[in-house]
Amino acid sequence: MKIIDKPEILYGELSTPRKIRTRGLLRISPGMLWIMLFLSIPALSLIVISFTTRGAYGEIEWVFTLENYKRLAGYSLFGWSPDYLKILLRSIIAGLITTVVCIILSYPLAFFISTRDKSTRYLWLTALIIPFWTNLVIRTYAWQIVLAPDLPIAKLAALLHLVPPGSPLYPSSFAVYIGMISAFLPFVALPLYSSVEKLDWSLVEAANDLYCGKWRVFHQAILPQTLPGLSVGAILTFVPAMGIFLIPDLLGGAKYMLVGNLIQQQFGKSRDWPFGAAVSLALMSLTLIALVILNRRGAKMQVL
Amino acid sequence: MFKLNIHYKILAIATYLFLYTPLLAVMVYSFNKSRFGIHWGGLSLDWYVKLLHDDLVIEACINTAVLAVLSTIIATILGTTLAMGLARYPWSKKVMTFFDINLYLPVVTPEIVFAGALVVAFTCLRSISSIFEPGLVTMIIGHVTFQVAFVALVVRSRLASFNNEIEEASRDLYASNWYTFRHVLLPLMMPGIVSGAMLALTLSLDDFIISFFTAGPTSVTLPLYIYGEVHRGITPKIHALSTVGIFVTIALVILSQRISSKDN
Amino acid sequence: MKKLTLIVLLMFALFLQFPAASFAADELRVLIWSEYMPEDFMDNFKKDTGIKSRVELYESTEELVAKLQAGGVKQYDVVVPSDYIINTMIKLNLLQKLDHSKLPNLVNLEDSFKNTAYDPGNEYTAPYQWGTVGMLYNKEKLGADYVASTALFFDPASRKGPVVMIDSIREMLGIALKYMGKSVNTLDKSDLKALADMMIETKSSKYFAGFDVGTGGRSKVVAGTAIAALVYNGDALRAVNEAPDKFVFANPKEGGVIWADNMAIPAGAPHVDYAHTFINWVLDANNGAALSNWTQYATPNKAAKEFITPEDLKNPAIYPSEETMKTLEFITDLGKDNRYYDELWTMIKTR
Repeated sequence: MKIIDKPEILYGELSTPRKIRTRGLLRISPGMLWIMLFLSIPALSLIVISFTTRGAYGEIEWVFTLENYKRLAGYSLFGWSPDYLKILLRSIIAGLITTVVCIILSYPLAFFISTRDKSTRYLWLTALIIPFWTNLVIRTYAWQIVLAPDLPIAKLAALLHLVPPGSPLYPSSFAVYIGMISAFLPFVALPLYSSVEKLDWSLVEAANDLYCGKWRVFHQAILPQTLPGLSVGAILTFVPAMGIFLIPDLLGGAKYMLVGNLIQQQFGKSRDWPFGAAVSLALMSLTLIALVILNRRGAKMQVL
Repeated sequence: MFKLNIHYKILAIATYLFLYTPLLAVMVYSFNKSRFGIHWGGLSLDWYVKLLHDDLVIEACINTAVLAVLSTIIATILGTTLAMGLARYPWSKKVMTFFDINLYLPVVTPEIVFAGALVVAFTCLRSISSIFEPGLVTMIIGHVTFQVAFVALVVRSRLASFNNEIEEASRDLYASNWYTFRHVLLPLMMPGIVSGAMLALTLSLDDFIISFFTAGPTSVTLPLYIYGEVHRGITPKIHALSTVGIFVTIALVILSQRISSKDN
Repeated sequence: MKKLTLIVLLMFALFLQFPAASFAADELRVLIWSEYMPEDFMDNFKKDTGIKSRVELYESTEELVAKLQAGGVKQYDVVVPSDYIINTMIKLNLLQKLDHSKLPNLVNLEDSFKNTAYDPGNEYTAPYQWGTVGMLYNKEKLGADYVASTALFFDPASRKGPVVMIDSIREMLGIALKYMGKSVNTLDKSDLKALADMMIETKSSKYFAGFDVGTGGRSKVVAGTAIAALVYNGDALRAVNEAPDKFVFANPKEGGVIWADNMAIPAGAPHVDYAHTFINWVLDANNGAALSNWTQYATPNKAAKEFITPEDLKNPAIYPSEETMKTLEFITDLGKDNRYYDELWTMIKTR
């Protein structure tokens, strides 16, 4: 049993462990209690709420039931149909596609910036940060302008008979993907760039000297070194992309609904908190699974 | 040095264009004379003038700024002390895991779930005190909750990057705790605190969904205002407002670059 | 250390006691549908009564109830719910009874609106405007002799261009049911299943341009990104009046939904007196007419009819003919069975 009142040297200071611990607790408490009071405990109560029933008028009735999870699994009032499971699957796929496309576009971007002169590099980086810091609402609704029927992109699509003439290109899954990719690109590009900047090009040169094919050079010399930045970018993209609400709402309408929209609807208009809580839990579980997988594969979660 | 293939260069530039197309579209159409649609009606500054006269818009701007500044200050103080507490005591593994789980929870929770949890929290807390009615207070609380975790993580990684020797040296020289803190530890932590604070500021300015669920009648922020108007029908007034927003962002980015280059 | 903690805790406790009402400025807080009053309406109210006001907007009835349930019940003084949700709001304790002694202008109302099915005797509400949900369409694209029909939305053979549906649960489903020839309040399982199938098929069509609130759909038709939208008649008429050769509003031949919006006072309203003053002021004949002349909706106020523009009184889009009235149906509150429609809606939106 550690004697906590005996003075000893801790962190360069002569004090007792008890005193240091008290000081430590005092410092931690405000922040930690805040998080616990406003997030951790309410999140736990969401778990409880997901087992309650929705009253006739949208209140919570403390009657415990598995109804919400059954509904999630497809057993609705109108027979079985896996609608909600489809939404979860669609959200996972949307997250995956967004992340992958962002990664594919980010590598050339990162290489490009790192091969600029020192003087201009800062400008290119700033050019990447500006959209990153611009509010998401602005960045997303702006695509409604670009995809409008009178602008070239929609006209081209009408020409190719992809849409009826005079239609805008939203709401649609295409518009949602465009919105997501443009929204999350800097999330991947910036961490990736910080890894690419530290890249040891001698390894790449060595691989080239050994007559490796392009893909092999990438796979053996570049990828391992950029893995830390890549995994941070992947996590910062995949997790939010799965649960995002704004982009499918503005660009997908009701035509392309993701799980974030479903949850927002339950806490909003549909006034069905129990069901919303159940779907939230499903999303949270998917998030945790994704994190575990990404953590095992990638480097340790290096923060920012 | 690595010579970049021309194809990748083109792809990179194309990617930049892709990112900027929507922003440019907004800026261009903010000068459109015609109210509806994309038909170009001629150049006009009308919409910018309308912005200045719109009380709601000005209120939204003020709310956004007040919210961001207040929440950033609170989050930075709480987050920094949190990081210091975590890094300067040998907590047992179990205790540390408990702290870590709570610390990472705001970071990994999808925003919509976070917002749902906040709605639940405030519904319960409202029965204790009416300070928790939807409004600026609940918004600040919501923002601080996710900001504090990010600030703590940034400052903690900064604290981990230098060891205790300097502190020990300072104490060897008979410096008091407070002196050590103020003149040794704080300057060393400052780059971390500043990055954490800037991150917190960005997160608050950019936030939509948490604000959406916690806002009250008098606390509409810019993103919420724009969202509401977009649903009711886009007019160039919104484009004008968004253009102003974009330029404010540019100014903030440049400002933050200055601050961080000064630190280096 | 201990003293400091005690002081901090004390301050915190004091802080919690601060009632938010003391922060509430001395103004009337109105929560109302967007574009539902003339631009100078609240300024005139201030001129006549000296009361400052703040107006906040919502886009759908369900959004209003959600907002009140999330704490708004103590923050707003006047709300304007639709008829069919009032029973729900009363059951949820969201509304308080009106004090008729403060509302002498109640006598101005039409008799039918003094004793409605959803609030007999105006215990909780006072009518504001009434109207219909119908079609706003582009006359140029559909032809001058086009007869408004919801087949444009629901019949694969009749679709001609992008169309916008209204993002309001009961109203949208009601119009779809009318197209199917059923009642907007049906609880027949097979009817509901057919309704779901039809809505999902419509959603998947390439002509489906999304669900939008009334004003959003109207904006899309005016902007040219849609050829027709389901909107509220007043919202539509304001656009039609700006370009009568391009746009037309009509109630579809298969029938539509008729609604009546009412002013009500939330249970925890901070300024109950101001609320009553406002409601009484709106019920005044002149103000009621100014309101309807701008909104282009029908007024429930008999005394105000004197001051309504004569063209409006003759306009079948605002005051439908007897024949049309027969095809219009009021939505009713279904109590526990509301959930069928709610779940149906979620299902339609998610598929």
